[in-house]
Amino acid sequence: MSGIANKMASNQKQIAISEFFEKNKHFLGFDSLPRSIITAVKEAVDNSLDACEEARILPDIVIKISKLDTKKDILELVSEDNGPGIPQKSIEKVFGQLLFGSRFHAIRQSRGQQGIGITGVVMYSQLTTGKPTHVLSKISGEPTAVSVNIGLDTRKNKAVKSEQTRIIWENDDLTLKEHGLRVTTKMKAKYQRGRQSVFQYLRMTSIVNPHAEITFIDPDGEKYHWPRVTERLPSKVDAIKPHPHGIELGQLQRMCRESKDSRLTVFLRQNFSGVSMRAAKELCEAAELGVGTKPKSMKPDDVRALLEAFQGERVVNGKAIKLLSPPTNCLSPIEEMLIKKGLSKTIDSKFIATMTRAPTVSHGNPFQVEVGLIFGEGMAADKHVEVLRFANRVPLMYQQGGCLLTKAIESVDWRQYGLEQAGGKGVPKGPAAILVHLASTNVQFTSEAKEALSDNGFVFEETRKAMLEMGRGLRKHLEKKKKMAKTREKFELINDILPAIAEKSASILERPVPDLAGSITRIMSAVICNETTTWNKETKQTDVSITLFNYTARARSYSLLVNWPEKSGGEMVGNERGGRKEAMGIWGWKIETLEPGQNAVLEYSLSNLEKGDWTETEVFFRGSQDVIGATKLDEKMLEDIRKQEDILNQAENVASDEEFQEGFEPGVVDGDSGQTTLFGGEN
Amino acid sequence: MARVNDPELTKARLHLVVEEMYDRIVKGEPPTMTLPVRTKNNIGFDSKLGVYKYGKKRSTRDATSLGSAKNLLRALHVVEFIEEMIEAGKSSTLREMYYISEGWGLGKFGSQNESNNLAEDLEVVTSCLREDFKLRPEEDGARMIGDITVDELNRRGQWMRINARDDVGDSGYGVPYNVESEKIRLIEHDVKFLMAIETGGMFDRLIENGFDEEYNCGLIHLKGQPARSTRRIIKRMNEEWDIPVVVFLDGDPWSFRIFASIAYGAIKTAHISEYLATPSATYLGITADDILAYDLPSDDLSKKDIEALNAELSDPRFADGWWQDQINMMLEVNQKAEQQSLAKYGLDFVTDTYLPEKLGEMGLS
Repeated sequence: MSGIANKMASNQKQIAISEFFEKNKHFLGFDSLPRSIITAVKEAVDNSLDACEEARILPDIVIKISKLDTKKDILELVSEDNGPGIPQKSIEKVFGQLLFGSRFHAIRQSRGQQGIGITGVVMYSQLTTGKPTHVLSKISGEPTAVSVNIGLDTRKNKAVKSEQTRIIWENDDLTLKEHGLRVTTKMKAKYQRGRQSVFQYLRMTSIVNPHAEITFIDPDGEKYHWPRVTERLPSKVDAIKPHPHGIELGQLQRMCRESKDSRLTVFLRQNFSGVSMRAAKELCEAAELGVGTKPKSMKPDDVRALLEAFQGERVVNGKAIKLLSPPTNCLSPIEEMLIKKGLSKTIDSKFIATMTRAPTVSHGNPFQVEVGLIFGEGMAADKHVEVLRFANRVPLMYQQGGCLLTKAIESVDWRQYGLEQAGGKGVPKGPAAILVHLASTNVQFTSEAKEALSDNGFVFEETRKAMLEMGRGLRKHLEKKKKMAKTREKFELINDILPAIAEKSASILERPVPDLAGSITRIMSAVICNETTTWNKETKQTDVSITLFNYTARARSYSLLVNWPEKSGGEMVGNERGGRKEAMGIWGWKIETLEPGQNAVLEYSLSNLEKGDWTETEVFFRGSQDVIGATKLDEKMLEDIRKQEDILNQAENVASDEEFQEGFEPGVVDGDSGQTTLFGGEN
Repeated sequence: MARVNDPELTKARLHLVVEEMYDRIVKGEPPTMTLPVRTKNNIGFDSKLGVYKYGKKRSTRDATSLGSAKNLLRALHVVEFIEEMIEAGKSSTLREMYYISEGWGLGKFGSQNESNNLAEDLEVVTSCLREDFKLRPEEDGARMIGDITVDELNRRGQWMRINARDDVGDSGYGVPYNVESEKIRLIEHDVKFLMAIETGGMFDRLIENGFDEEYNCGLIHLKGQPARSTRRIIKRMNEEWDIPVVVFLDGDPWSFRIFASIAYGAIKTAHISEYLATPSATYLGITADDILAYDLPSDDLSKKDIEALNAELSDPRFADGWWQDQINMMLEVNQKAEQQSLAKYGLDFVTDTYLPEKLGEMGLS
C-alpha cells in the first residue's frame, strides 16, 4: 500500500484527480462497468462493518440498487446501516479526501486494506454522472441527522459540500433513527448476476460476518435477506507494532525520520514488536551502529545496514539475531462455530466441517488460516466445488486461479476424501463448497487489484493442513453415511422383506408361516446402533436418540459414549438414563445385559444451541462384540483429550503472565499445537 | 430335441424353489435360492447333446443382503404369477409381467431387465422353458425367405399354411416368438441349405440379387444377436429336416460370439442349449483370412474388440484349432471388416463371386 500512497502523495499537485483515477482505475476497482458497482457496494459495506465493529454495534445493513437509465447504464446505489454515524464535521474528510484514516500506519487486521475507500466511489460517481453523493448521517445523542451532498473539486482534490441541512430521520415504522448512515450515489455501472456479482459479494460477506444482518434489493426489486445468526461481535483486535522481519526499507526510513527517540536501542524496543533489550543491542552491533545513535540522524546506508541486521543478513558471532515472534492477539478469526453458522445460513447441507488453525507467523507477520467445508445434496454434484476465498473477512471474487488459497485447495488429492478430481489435481468436483479465510496483519496480494493472494510457503502449508483435516472429516462423514445406509437396508430386510418371503412361500406351499427369529439372528448376527440427531423446532433443542439392538444369539453388555458440544456451550437436558462425564465433550452410559432380540434406547436433548450447530452425534462403545453404527473407543484418545484439557486449563492461568511471552522460543512455528480433534487421529 | 410340455411338472419344479426358501426359514437360517453359475467359466461341452451346457458350479443367493432378499421375494411372486397363468390358461409378455409387478409391493421389479433375468433364473433352476412359464419375450424374431412351408397357429386358433417364398413380400416370413410344435409345424421344404445372415442390408442384397432361388436356399436374417425363437427355428429345421446351416456374419469378435450362440449355445442360455444350438452349423465368413484374401476395406480393432478377442481365446466354445487360428489372426492383422465391405467390388460381387467361392469350399454350391 505504501507504494500507492507515496505515488499519490507526490503526484497530488501535478495531476487532476480525474487523470489519476483514469490511470489507476484497475486497482481502484472501477475498470469495468460490472465491477464498478461491486466495488462501490464493497466500499460501503466494508465501512459499515468496520464502523459497527469499532462501535460494538451489531450491524444491520441494507443495500438497494436500482436502474436509473438502462440505455446509459446508470445505476443508483443506496447503502444504509445502523452504525454510529459520522459527526457532521468529519463527513467531508471521510467522503472527500484520499487516504483519510489511520489504516495505513497501524499494523492490525482490518478490512479496509483494499481500494481507497468510499472516496473512490464519490469520485467515480462524480466523474461518470457529474452528480454528488448524498450522505445522511445520524449520531447518537443528537436529535437530528445531517443531510448533505458531497462532490469533489477535481482540481483542488477537495470535497465540496452543498445543500447541507439537518433533518429528522425516521425509520419505516416512523420511530426515530437512533444512529446510522445512508449513502446514496449514482454511477455508470452495469448490474450482473453470477459468480462475480453484488449478490455473490454480499452472500460471501454474510458468511464471514455472521453477526451482520444484510438485506439486498436488486434492480428487479427482488429482495434477498441474510439474517444475523449470532449476537457475538468479532473480538476487538489490538494494533501491534511492526516486526523487524516484516518491514520494508521505505517504511523503516520513514520511521527513523519521524522518530523522536534519542537512542537507537530505545527506538528499536519501543517501535517494534519482538525486540528485547538484548536483541536491540545485538541488532546495533550487527548493523555496526552505536547503541546511542539518534534514529533521526541515520544516513540511508545506516538504515540499510539496520534492515540487513533485521533480516539476518548481518550477523553477530556468525548468528542471526534472535527475535521474539510478534504477538498474535492482533488477529480476529471468525472461529469455527461461527463459520459453521455463516455457511449453513446460505447453503443447505448435511455436513459442515470447519477449522480455525492456531495463529502463526510468517516473515514477522502474524496470520491465521480458517477453513470450512460444506457438503450436501443442495449443490450440483457434477460441477467444481464453490471456492469461497476471504482475506480479513473481505470476499475475494476475482482471479481465483492465481490465488494462493486456491492453489492450496488444488494441492490436495480430494479423491481419497470422496470428491471427484481429475488426476488428483485442481479444484475438485462435487456437491460441496470450500471456504478459506486468511486473517493477517499484512495480506500480500499478487497485484494491486488485490484479488489474489501471492505465494507464501507458510500460509500455503497451514491452509493445506487445514484442508487435509477437513477432508478426513468429510471422508468420515461419507463412510458413516454409507454405513448408516447399510444398516437401514438391514432393517428393511428383516422388518419387511423377510416376513414377506415367509408369508409368500408359506401361502404357495399351503403351509403355516414359519417363525423368523432364528433367520433374523443369522442374517444380522450383529449388535447394531442407530443414532439420530435432529433439530426440534418446537423446543428449540437438538434431540438425540440412540438405539442399540442386540441381534446376536447371546446377551451383551456395553458402555456407550457420545460426543457433544460441551465446549461450545451446549447443555444436555432430559437425559433420563444418567450416565457420567467421561471427558470434555464426552458422555458415557453403561448398558447392562441386553438379551438377544432386545434393544435399549438412550435419549437426551441439547439446549443452548442454534439450528445447524450440531447435526451429527458420534457414538463410541466399550465392549467385546463389534457394534455396527458405532466406533470402538480408543482409550488412549480419551486420555489425550483429558490431558489436553488439563493443559488448556493451565495455559489459561499462565497466559496473562508477561514472563510466559518472554519465555517463548522465537521464530518457532509449531503448526500442530492444539489442533488435534476429537478422535480424529486416523490416517 | 423334443420338449416336454407338462404344466404339472412345471409347477412341481417351481415348488422345489419355494421349498428351499421355506425350509431354510424353518431351520432358522436365511432363505436361499441355489442356481448354476452363469459365466463362461462354468460351461462345458456335453458330448451326449453336442452342445455347451452349464457345469456343476453353483451359486447361492441368500437373503443376507437387501438386494438378494428382494430378489428371492420377487421370485416367489413370479412363481405365484406363473401358477395363476397356468391355471387360467393365459400367457403374458415379460414386459407385462414387469408392469404387473407394480402391484407386488416390496416384490416389485426395479427394471425390466430384472424381470427378464429372474425369468431366466427360474428356467435355469427348474430346467423348464419360459414357454412352460407362459412368458413371452418382447424381442422380435427373425425374417425368413425361401421355399419353406410351415403351418402356424394364428390368433383365431386356426392353422395357417405359409410358404416363405410365395406367400410373403420382400421382408419375408416373420418368425413368431413361440416356434414350438404347438405353434409352428414344419410341413415341407425344397432348399439345399439355410443361410443365417447378420445384417439386414446383406439379407436384402441377397434377395434383390435373387440368391435364394438361384442357389435354392433359405435365408434368415438374424438381426444381430439372434433371439431365442430364431435360434430355435434354425435348430428345428436343421434337426427335423436335416438341412445344413451356414452362418454369414461380419468379420469381428462380436460376430464370432453370434456364431457361437447359434452353433454351440449362448452362455446366458446354456441351460437350454440342447433346444437352441445347432452344432453342425458352419461359419462361412467374413473370416480373418477373407479380409486379407479379398483385400476388404477394414477398420482397426478397438480396445473393446481386442478385449473381446482375448476373452474368446479362453472361452471353451472357441477352444478348437480353427477358431484359435482365426482369433489370433484377427489380433495379428488388427483389422475387422463388415459383410457389406464386399460391395467394394460392386453390388453383385457377393452373389457372383464371394458366396459361390465360399460355398464351393463347403461343398454346397
